[in-house]
Amino acid sequence: MATTTQDSSMDATQAALLAKVQPAELQEQPLVTNNRDFNWVTDKICRIVETKTPTWWWICMAVALMTASFTGLGLLWLVSSGVGVWGLANPINWGWAIVNFVFWIGIGHAGTLISAVLCLLKQGWRTSINRAAEAMTIFAVVCAGIFPLFHVGRVWFAWWLFPIPNSNGIWPQFRSPLEWDVFAVSTYGTVSVLFWYMGMIPDLSVLRDRAVQRLKKNAYEGAGALAKGMDIFRKNFYAIFAMGWRNAGNHWRNYEMAYLILAGISTPLVLSVHTIVSFDFALAVLPGWHTTIFPPYFVAGAIFSGFGMVLTLMLPLRALYGMHDLITQRHIDNMCKICLGTGSIVGYAYIMEFFIAWYGANPYESFAFINRAFGQYWWAYVMMFSCNVFTPQLFWFKKVRQNWALVWVMSIFINVGMWFERFVITVTSLANDFLPSSWGYYSPTMVDILTFFGTFGLFSVLFLLFLRFLPLMPIAEVKFVMPAADPHGHHGDEKGDHH
Amino acid sequence: MSSDTTNSKGNNVGLIALVVGIVGIVIALFGFKQGWDNGDVRPIMSWLIGIGFWLSIAIGMLFLTQIWYVFHARWPTIIRRQCEHGMAAFPYLLVLFLPLLAIPFLHENPGLLWKWMDGHNALPGHGTVGEDPLYQWKSPFLNIPFFAIRAVGIFGVFILVSGLLRRWSFNTDTTGDVNNLHNARRLSSLGLFLTSIAMTLGAIDWFKSLEYHWFSTMYGVWFFAASMRAAISALLILCVILAAKGYLKGILKQAHRYDLGCLMLTFTIFWTYISFSQYFLIYSANIPEETFWYNIREMNFDGTRNSWWWVSMGLIFGHFLTPFLCLLWYKTKVVVWRTVLVACWILAFHVLDLYWNIVPGKMVTPDHGPGYLVRQFSISPYDIAALIGIGGICIFAMCRSMKKAEPIPVRDPNILTSLNYTE
Repeated sequence: MATTTQDSSMDATQAALLAKVQPAELQEQPLVTNNRDFNWVTDKICRIVETKTPTWWWICMAVALMTASFTGLGLLWLVSSGVGVWGLANPINWGWAIVNFVFWIGIGHAGTLISAVLCLLKQGWRTSINRAAEAMTIFAVVCAGIFPLFHVGRVWFAWWLFPIPNSNGIWPQFRSPLEWDVFAVSTYGTVSVLFWYMGMIPDLSVLRDRAVQRLKKNAYEGAGALAKGMDIFRKNFYAIFAMGWRNAGNHWRNYEMAYLILAGISTPLVLSVHTIVSFDFALAVLPGWHTTIFPPYFVAGAIFSGFGMVLTLMLPLRALYGMHDLITQRHIDNMCKICLGTGSIVGYAYIMEFFIAWYGANPYESFAFINRAFGQYWWAYVMMFSCNVFTPQLFWFKKVRQNWALVWVMSIFINVGMWFERFVITVTSLANDFLPSSWGYYSPTMVDILTFFGTFGLFSVLFLLFLRFLPLMPIAEVKFVMPAADPHGHHGDEKGDHH
Repeated sequence: MSSDTTNSKGNNVGLIALVVGIVGIVIALFGFKQGWDNGDVRPIMSWLIGIGFWLSIAIGMLFLTQIWYVFHARWPTIIRRQCEHGMAAFPYLLVLFLPLLAIPFLHENPGLLWKWMDGHNALPGHGTVGEDPLYQWKSPFLNIPFFAIRAVGIFGVFILVSGLLRRWSFNTDTTGDVNNLHNARRLSSLGLFLTSIAMTLGAIDWFKSLEYHWFSTMYGVWFFAASMRAAISALLILCVILAAKGYLKGILKQAHRYDLGCLMLTFTIFWTYISFSQYFLIYSANIPEETFWYNIREMNFDGTRNSWWWVSMGLIFGHFLTPFLCLLWYKTKVVVWRTVLVACWILAFHVLDLYWNIVPGKMVTPDHGPGYLVRQFSISPYDIAALIGIGGICIFAMCRSMKKAEPIPVRDPNILTSLNYTE
């Protein structure tokens, strides 16, 4: 009989049953491959921050900064001229700004899903990707926030969005979902930053301690004063943010409890943020917008686009830093399958919307959907449907999931498709509304295009800084899911270094 | 089964369930016949409520099993086997569904239950179904032959997917062949798609089309959420009974109960999220084509509050707030009687939720004049008979299935993780 815990309440029947237990052998790929030991993990993750800045990083940073400058210039142009420099015109008074806002907010969702929801579901594979995904969340929220902030026109009055008593007696419209967005997104941003930072504290202490060790050994011969100076900086910088973490038992106990509570708080936040974003549309009585499935459909779409972006980011990182043993084929498989699942949920929603638009027998609703698919924006609908529903279906095939280049290209398709989804929802319903005499065609201006393009630069700048200065993975958590950490498993030759 | 003692216990329970089931079904069918003869839809709705309740539990168990396979979940391995037994009810439920399917084919008024099935049926206000432009528009979907084909297809999907999953899982007990697990995982990936579509169509056909004017894209998701809640609650009660009296004694751990309790909490929140979103978006838009469905669940044509208002409040406070608050507490999820009490509570309110979705309806006034009457809330003895009768047959099917396989999947690769599971 295999090893099982026997309860005192068991009688002979149950004991006989347990005697039959003989599990079949199931080969599963470990989450850290090549029998790596704990030291290797610590070293691998810390050396990304500690070694000399690679040339590719500088090149990427330069390109990212240049790209980000477009956003800066676009916003400068907007503030100095007015919102008219965007392509908004009656009846399409919501254009790329809300499209880009929803696009970036959606991308952020995978970070919270990986860090919070998968944590609550005890999914061990999240450990290699959760830190980067959380960072992605925060940077995506930063990019998202720009658009509604500047869409208010006079950005210096944006603080009026908050219900602050003022001498004019002006209060925000509490019944507007756009106002709810202010609370939802700012809460989401705050909790995401807290979650991200708190999860990093043990790793920051590792970086601190390693810098201290090197300084004690004073092994900088040949490395120059700069290396020593950097370690002095690291020692102080990480010491401040590690907040005196000493790996004590009670530190870990408190940490685990706080992590669990934050995961519990973040999980409803994932749902609420995109639900409220969906209300931006669904609460308006406009064909194509007013449909009851919007809340869960938007949440699924957000997770879909977020995982698309995680794949877009993690696959190159994995190759650049040689992290194939930490981000394994199993991780890629799982992410592809989540994209397949959520992409199909999104497909279910597209079909359900179309079906109920017909079933509801409302001519305006039917028109809105036929117009989406076959009207002036048919090309956007085709992009949306093919990228979001058909593309992920390729993930059914193992060979596709194992072809990393193809997976990366498909992840780009997902990003593109999800941007088009928001474009289709926003623009097609507005362009052809109830009054045919006022129908219009929306075209973005160069300011629209460059401002949006620049946000990819801003996102990249922030992500590159994260890569350079902060630990890419939670070291202790990765070790926890290693075969060597399994008390029932084969320990091999691993050393029990828990840093 | 592992021993003669347990076997005979299972046989006894199965036999009792069968007898009770037959008695319940005979009573409910008597009501059904009365309704059939008198053109009274209410006793026929009792049958639909009974089918809806037990079918939702079986559908939820099918979803749970597939989700666990797809996510490679290890902890519920011993619980999954009980789901597999529960899913044995699908073929029986198909047979029990046939009386409802007979109405459009054999009754003089095919639209006795689903009024769109008879073009001569009068509509509140004026006119008939056949003259109704809305029905004419929807008739390519809402017509009897297509409805029947869909019903067969829907049950076909449930029976096929659950049958294959059961076969592979039971086969592993004897052969220890790990390919069974791989097959089950592959089928579950595809099966989730198929069962989602089947379940959505079922919800639209059997419940939503009772008021065929009304529409909501969320409805399929509502039925999924309701089914998951019902299945998890039923599964928890089943596991606790088996741990107290049957073969899971000492095998079902506190950790299993705790996780099932967490799932109950999760789907309580999810059901509320879906139900609230649907309500809120329709309330906010305030479009009469949609709001009438909620209006009749609150008030009569003259604006006076009707009996459904209390049921609606009961759902808010009883089906959401009470289980939500109770399940937030750790102890509720680990103290056996508390968890079972909450599970029973959820199941009771799930029945009420089905009442709320099925029974209210617009009826023509006696003089076929302006306005409408609302079919009010009532509990009929036939409701109880149908619930007990159909339930008895489902429990009989489950007990029968229990004889075909080991009480737990003894050779499943993940069985040890499940047996040794701790919080």
